[in-house]
Amino acid sequence: MSSCPLTIAGMSLLKVEHLSKTFGTIRAVDSVSLEVRPGEIYGLLGPNGAGKTTTISMICGLLKPDAGEVLVAGTTFWSDPQKAKRIMGVVPQELAIYEELSGRENLEFWGRLAGLSSREARLRATELLEALTLADRAKDAVATYSGGMKRRINLGCALLHRPQLLLLDEPTVGIDPQARLNILEFIRNLLAAGTGILYTTHYLEEAEMLCQRIGIIDHGRLLAEGTLSQLQERLGGDRVFVLEADFKSALPDAWEGFHQRFRVIQKTERQLVVAAIGARDPSECLKDLLDLPVRAENVTLKRPSLNDVFLQLTGRELRE
Amino acid sequence: MLRVLLAKDLRHAVRNPLPWIINLIVPLSMTLLVGLIFGRHADSGALGRIRFAVVDEDKSLLGDLLRGVTNQAKGGRHFDPVFMGREAAMREIDADKISAVLIIPANFMSNYLRAREPVSLELIKNPAESVNPAVLEELLGVVATGLNAISHNFRSKFPEWRTGLEGSGDYHQAFFFIERTGAKLMMTPKYKNYINPPLVSYEKEPPADASTSAAPAKAGGSQSDAISGVFSYLLIGFSGMFLLFIAGSAMSDLYRELRQHTLERYQTLRDSLAPFLASKAVFGVVMLLLCAAIMLGGGGLIFHIHWRRPLPLMALTFGYACFMAALFAVFVALMPDERRAAVLNNLAAMFMGLAGGVFPPELLPAFLRQHITPFLPSYWFVTTARNLQDGGMDVAWGWAAFKFAALGAALIALAAMLLRRRFQSGLRA
Repeated sequence: MSSCPLTIAGMSLLKVEHLSKTFGTIRAVDSVSLEVRPGEIYGLLGPNGAGKTTTISMICGLLKPDAGEVLVAGTTFWSDPQKAKRIMGVVPQELAIYEELSGRENLEFWGRLAGLSSREARLRATELLEALTLADRAKDAVATYSGGMKRRINLGCALLHRPQLLLLDEPTVGIDPQARLNILEFIRNLLAAGTGILYTTHYLEEAEMLCQRIGIIDHGRLLAEGTLSQLQERLGGDRVFVLEADFKSALPDAWEGFHQRFRVIQKTERQLVVAAIGARDPSECLKDLLDLPVRAENVTLKRPSLNDVFLQLTGRELRE
Repeated sequence: MLRVLLAKDLRHAVRNPLPWIINLIVPLSMTLLVGLIFGRHADSGALGRIRFAVVDEDKSLLGDLLRGVTNQAKGGRHFDPVFMGREAAMREIDADKISAVLIIPANFMSNYLRAREPVSLELIKNPAESVNPAVLEELLGVVATGLNAISHNFRSKFPEWRTGLEGSGDYHQAFFFIERTGAKLMMTPKYKNYINPPLVSYEKEPPADASTSAAPAKAGGSQSDAISGVFSYLLIGFSGMFLLFIAGSAMSDLYRELRQHTLERYQTLRDSLAPFLASKAVFGVVMLLLCAAIMLGGGGLIFHIHWRRPLPLMALTFGYACFMAALFAVFVALMPDERRAAVLNNLAAMFMGLAGGVFPPELLPAFLRQHITPFLPSYWFVTTARNLQDGGMDVAWGWAAFKFAALGAALIALAAMLLRRRFQSGLRA
């Protein structure tokens, strides 16, 4: 099997509809729907245990969904799993490589399993080793590689057959910032070939930097999705206010007219994060906040981040 | 596909040979250990002299003949019989001074020659010993075979013999009968074939029913053959069990693939797990064949065992290896926990080995012997291999080997299905 070029203009590479999975009494994934188009990176953002890996496992056929459907290039996955698997490449969260074998041997092996001939696998492995800047260590056993190098080989093993759809399950977890940047750069370059990528992560910065569209998932439910600016707009514009004060006994619900002017994103004992409702002047908003019946120690105005969106959706920070 | 997977496993084994070395050292050390214990005796052609008591309650000519046979010529080199009363003999066996007690009951010869009712020789084995009593049991089987053969074919002469042999016993007349019987046997090809090698033997249970029983063939009547037969009997049984242990260990490599998530990654590329499992099974079979060669080949050299039908034995072992590798692949698919699986694998191997052929089936509890042992593949292997070694030409070894291989293929398919279901239900290593 060589790579499978598809004519998929106007068609989703991946369409997931109402995917659900339950383990015992735990609803791991609850009616998740999403879509990945060619040349797009779709980020699935959520904390550990949110259901990201379970979703990817169902998409690539490792797990059978309890309900819902997975369409790969317009065809239901389970109608022809082998055909769907030819189209996709999967990078698991855990390193899934043979540490005793060299980087080149690993790449060639997974390439052969993906259907490449011996010669194709050799040539493609050489290409990938260059692209992943591992050519000088190609013959060394993977066991001697650094964490970042292993991650790159782990990524490369899914790319031998030039998949149209790439499923990346937290591919940068546990590596240093420089190695992470290298991998992110490499992934960004894949878009040029029209590859559609589903990228799961719990790093906000990665999702913000890399993804065209982002889905926020928590407790198995897709809470919101859209571009970064679309998600920011959910907070009511492009700025949020952070008030620092003693909010132990404060009751915003009792403050007159407060809820007509502000949406509370988060309230803690020391902090109140709010977004203004409607297109209002920031200075006017600031004045309103300083008039609140608490003694404000500090007020900060900032652009809303994905974390703020997550906060607003779940009531807790993504890093908690 | 299979070639690619095998090449990967071969590379892995070359880079990390420790599991292979350990798996090969186990049978090697076992064979060497047994060889060190018994092998030096085998250099002189047999074990040391076997001391046993003969309790002759019959006081007939037969006892005297037996005394002569065991004391003189070749018999004297291998056996050290002591003649004594029953109580003294029991004291000796309790004191672990003798290997067994052979009791010739009162009126044994008289009843035998009258051929009215079954007669029995009694052998009490020293439970503290294993090999020597087994050798004596085998030899007693040869004696019973001879008595059976004579009873079947010369019964019409028994009244004449009885007249000559009973009472005080006339040795001249006895030897005249023996000479005449021998000459008749040698002149008659049918009889000659019948006793050399003897195609009838005796039943160990009930013991030594000399006049009526006939049963599993034990070819070769000489003492060294009997000793070699005991070792081959034991070696086949132990090999059947140890190969199960090694199969469990060899197939545990699948747990490494699960731990490393490589089996999971494989499944993201290929829909069927069967080729992956088959490649592991092929590797397991190679390891098992090497171990079998060490145990059966090495053991054969140490104990001077002449494997009578090596090619059928190899084919049978190959089939058995296929079956075992596939069986433990199913175990991996059924048991997600590696440490728990290791314990259960060993228990399963021990049960199948002990109940399936290490011990003679007649020593097993009746329920096990009747309802479980016959259905154990280890028993099929051990009995077929022993029958091959016993010289049976009509042993269905081809069918047995095919049956094992076919079962192996079916079990690989089952393991692939179970693992797939396990993945799909969300279980991981």
